[in-house]
Amino acid sequence: MSKLIIRKVAVLGAGVMGAQIAAHCANADVPVVLFDLPAKDGKPNGIVDKAIASLKKLDPKPLGSKDRAQYIEAANYGSDLEKLRECDLIIEAIAEKMEWKLDLYAKVAPFIRTDAIFASNTSGLPINALSEGMTVALRPRFCGIHFFNPPRYMPLVELIPTKTTDGQMLDDLETWLTTRLGKSIVRAKDTPNFVANRVGVFSILAVMHHTQQLGLGFDEVDALTGPSIGRPKSATYRTADVVGLDTLAHVIGTMDATLPKDPWHGLFQAPVWLKALIEKGALGQKTRAGIFRKEGKKIMVLDVAQQDYRPSAGEVAPEVAAILKNRNPAEKFAQLRASAHPQAQFLWAIFRDVFHYCAYHLGDIADNARDLDFAMRWGFGWSMGPFETWQAAGWADIAQAIQADIDAGKTMVNAPLPGWVFARKGVHEAAGSYSAADDALKARSALTVYGRQLYPEQVLGEAPKDRGETIWENEGVRLWTRPDQDARIGILSITSKMHAIGSEVLDGVIEAVARAERDLDGLVVWHDAPFAVGANLMQVAETLKAGQFDLLERTVDKFQRASMTLKHAQVPVVAAVQGMALGGGCEFVMHASHRVMALESYVGLVEAGVGLIPAGGGCKEFALQAHQLAQRAAGGDVYLYIQNSFQTIAMATVAKSALEAVQLGFAKASDDILFNPHELLYAAIRRARAMAEAGYRPPMMSRAVTVAGRNGIATCEMMLINMAEGGFISAHDYTVAKAAATALCGGEVETNARVSEQWILDVERAQFMALLKNEKTQQRIVHMLETGKPLRN
Amino acid sequence: MKQIQEAYIVAATRTPVSKRNGMFRSVRPDDMLAHVLRSVVGQVPGLDASEIGDVIVGCAMPEAEQGMNVARIGLLLAGLPDTVPGVTTNRFCASGIQAVADAANQIRLGQADVMIAAGTESMSVMPQIMGNKVSLNPAIFAKQENFGIAFGMGLTAEKVAEQWKISREDQDAFALQSNQRACAAIAAGHFKDEITPYTVRTHVPGEGGTVRVIESLCENDEGPRADAAIEKLGKLRPVFAARGSVTAGNSSQMSDGAGAVLLMSEAAVKRYGVTPIARFVSFSVAGVPPHIMGIGPIEAIPRALKAGGLTQSQLDWIELNEAFAAQSLAVMRQLELDPAKVNPLGGAIALGHPLGATGAIRTATIMSAMQRDPSVKYGMVTMCIGTGMGAAGIFERV
Repeated sequence: MSKLIIRKVAVLGAGVMGAQIAAHCANADVPVVLFDLPAKDGKPNGIVDKAIASLKKLDPKPLGSKDRAQYIEAANYGSDLEKLRECDLIIEAIAEKMEWKLDLYAKVAPFIRTDAIFASNTSGLPINALSEGMTVALRPRFCGIHFFNPPRYMPLVELIPTKTTDGQMLDDLETWLTTRLGKSIVRAKDTPNFVANRVGVFSILAVMHHTQQLGLGFDEVDALTGPSIGRPKSATYRTADVVGLDTLAHVIGTMDATLPKDPWHGLFQAPVWLKALIEKGALGQKTRAGIFRKEGKKIMVLDVAQQDYRPSAGEVAPEVAAILKNRNPAEKFAQLRASAHPQAQFLWAIFRDVFHYCAYHLGDIADNARDLDFAMRWGFGWSMGPFETWQAAGWADIAQAIQADIDAGKTMVNAPLPGWVFARKGVHEAAGSYSAADDALKARSALTVYGRQLYPEQVLGEAPKDRGETIWENEGVRLWTRPDQDARIGILSITSKMHAIGSEVLDGVIEAVARAERDLDGLVVWHDAPFAVGANLMQVAETLKAGQFDLLERTVDKFQRASMTLKHAQVPVVAAVQGMALGGGCEFVMHASHRVMALESYVGLVEAGVGLIPAGGGCKEFALQAHQLAQRAAGGDVYLYIQNSFQTIAMATVAKSALEAVQLGFAKASDDILFNPHELLYAAIRRARAMAEAGYRPPMMSRAVTVAGRNGIATCEMMLINMAEGGFISAHDYTVAKAAATALCGGEVETNARVSEQWILDVERAQFMALLKNEKTQQRIVHMLETGKPLRN
Repeated sequence: MKQIQEAYIVAATRTPVSKRNGMFRSVRPDDMLAHVLRSVVGQVPGLDASEIGDVIVGCAMPEAEQGMNVARIGLLLAGLPDTVPGVTTNRFCASGIQAVADAANQIRLGQADVMIAAGTESMSVMPQIMGNKVSLNPAIFAKQENFGIAFGMGLTAEKVAEQWKISREDQDAFALQSNQRACAAIAAGHFKDEITPYTVRTHVPGEGGTVRVIESLCENDEGPRADAAIEKLGKLRPVFAARGSVTAGNSSQMSDGAGAVLLMSEAAVKRYGVTPIARFVSFSVAGVPPHIMGIGPIEAIPRALKAGGLTQSQLDWIELNEAFAAQSLAVMRQLELDPAKVNPLGGAIALGHPLGATGAIRTATIMSAMQRDPSVKYGMVTMCIGTGMGAAGIFERV
């Protein structure tokens, strides 16, 4: 591993990207100095102060928790350049103007230490030209560092070396970005727009081109180019609105200016309608009108023929939808090609032209096909990159089909496919991915940091990863090990769909812990995201329908036992959490001995949505926390610590990051938060090993938990009666929340009574069962299963 | 026992009123109290402070920084002699006027010749508006009749708005008028005489481990909004009911402040040769259902008038605490109070409502009005009270 130490980062430019990059550094416990111009009037740091304040309002949230903003220090180029001397990494993220950047470089260079790294977040300017604006001494430590918007959530960072960039520095920076900020790195060449934007913007141009050719509506195209082909919900035109139509036109303009020799150059023009919108000031989301416009609750879309907005209603035609549902990619593409439906022709055309473009340019723009595919996944949210899509659909067939379309003049331009396309059967193989520049297969990066990713993201066609050795499994879980990592740390993986927790999972957990206690030194609960979406509602609904309340109560009891088994196991149980951990999943998280969490963990007790309360020990854990916290407070009042958890449960609040999960009490400050989810298993195994080696002892069941009791319940009820009388909650919401209050306060006992943990579990279970028998709760469960949405009854 | 002598108000003052977490966010309520006590005693030169029979202080949440019998602490901090006693009294929002009435009664019964009534409240120091620790009796939820005890004040205002049919538009118009009247009064300097300016000393980290003290002189009420506008008020969302009409804009502001009133018997007035401002006429309290607590004055005002042998038309100046525009309008309409006489300088929606201090503060406002305007003969301070009561105290200019 690299010993690159970055104690402080400076970000130059407090625009959308700069401020959000700063926020993400603050998330990762790296203090940041955020610079911008001194304000013309008011406080000198006014511009940056405003940018920091707006970070707290943005959605999706750039900050893992609001209090992180305090780690971003506001500064300005007028009076604060001295602060740069303290910074080990300086990221420049100002406007995309060569002269401005070079001016700034000249200004800041005297204040940058020669052992610091200086990197530009430019999305398109030539990195080598920028490097020449740096002093000679700083050039070896200069490179491009291209984040994608929003930088907290988009995994991709393109690293672009110059001719003079120090190789070791680049490796160190890649390591740091990967493990500290959790980013996924693609090394790009210094070609216009680098990799992801080069292909991504071309793809948008191709979509626009064929939209016009086939006379489709923008709404129709968005229906076609979203999740139905594995791309984000905002699809094409909605994404353009979000990005800003002026920005998009600017990027297209850059391609026009910088790629004169690109065979597609003639097509790098903003369409007339796009220019017209920009002229009118309809720039998309930021001006509340663009390609789409909201009128009250209705979404309107621009109709180019009518020169006006009409209600957005575009849908995928049933016959095209049927083709897209085909799981065999070869058949799917053959059907798209064969169909006379304009939507099918459109889809084939946009795939074909992107394939054509990528094949033609692979050698110039990317080291290898894997990098290009990953760039599109990580930077544009495509579920598969273009080359793997092509390869899955049958490399040779698609190649021939493209060639036929080139010959027939159907492609956007008639540039020939490169020879290697016909010489190969695909680009991704077990041995590596094809590099057109080197005409060879390229293996994955050998940087040590990637050894921490036991199950990295893979492109289609790569060699399958080691599944480890199975010790035991049932229909709900698999208990296994990775002997190459640690043969005596078990890995418990939930194998059900969406990792929902049904009876078989509970049996599996209890059995796995027993085996771990007997045969292993520790246990890690790990599987891909989501960690768990909660209890298996379908099972609950079926048992309810059969009126088997005894069975249900036994299952709830088993849930509690499973949670308690995790908590009181004789070996450490480390939960490796990523994605959603809701309801019962959250309760497992709360009961583990320790948590290793990805930053992007969404944790919450959401049972209220289906008219229930947490009954796998979730209420009990909060009651226990309140007791422990109150012991450290003067006066020892428990209720103060109940009130927030009551609101958390009653409102089904979900933590939007691991940092928030700690604040809400689902996790502890002593837990590990990792920024790269692919490192979870590696870290969790080692954490379990360390705990075992440090003489792990399970916590004991408390027999004297001070609870808030009757007065506590009444005080919660005060909030409820005000909300009910004010019409904010329904009568059944009241009932459900009161049940939660009752469990959290340890039942209708005297305030400050001391009860056992088991008593609180019994209260929790009794309240849960009473709700299950309530018709309104049953209606909520059925409604959730049928519609996927909570019922407010 | 029977009244044997009259009680006169000879001096009254108050602090400016701060918004919650505003200019007084770090000011302690016991310091605010000491400040007004010093000031009101200073208004009677030559007063032998040891003659003060008692210092009665209203406070609605007498705990934490304003706990421990804040009256006694405040008077000691003010430098009054050890021999002067102090008592804290609590009738929620009427605590301040209750203190004035209690002090007057001590004199009227002949038990004292010099008394101080005061009120102090900092809502900034309360982590929760209902006090540092809230704990409700489970019995409240056992009987529907008792639910009203648990209602938030805003919710009771919604109930009043519903029952007395007070529209959102009327509430907002009333709120706007309150702000306009308050701003005009400040501009005209009408509060100058009653306010004793307060110098806030804020301790902040300075250079090299030293603490820097920032001093700022506060002379005016912080609450009134010169930019209040009916369109802006109309855009605010109801806070207490999903389809309600009570908003942050047409409710009283949460505030910090203190007020103090010095009372004397006729004998003391003569002895010290002071000119009294007003005679204390009467005081009444009455209970109403808790869920519509805002109508309390409807019951209390007629009782106070009767006790003073007055008719409503004789009142020239009414300080009706604007807990909410909804309840203020309900009270005014039902009793047919003359809107011109009610809160001529604006009310709590603009000026703020530091709970237990308000009664003493608004008494100071009436005293100031009587000194400024000879046509003001009878003045009244009245308010609604949480959990369902009303209070009204009447003064006569002398």
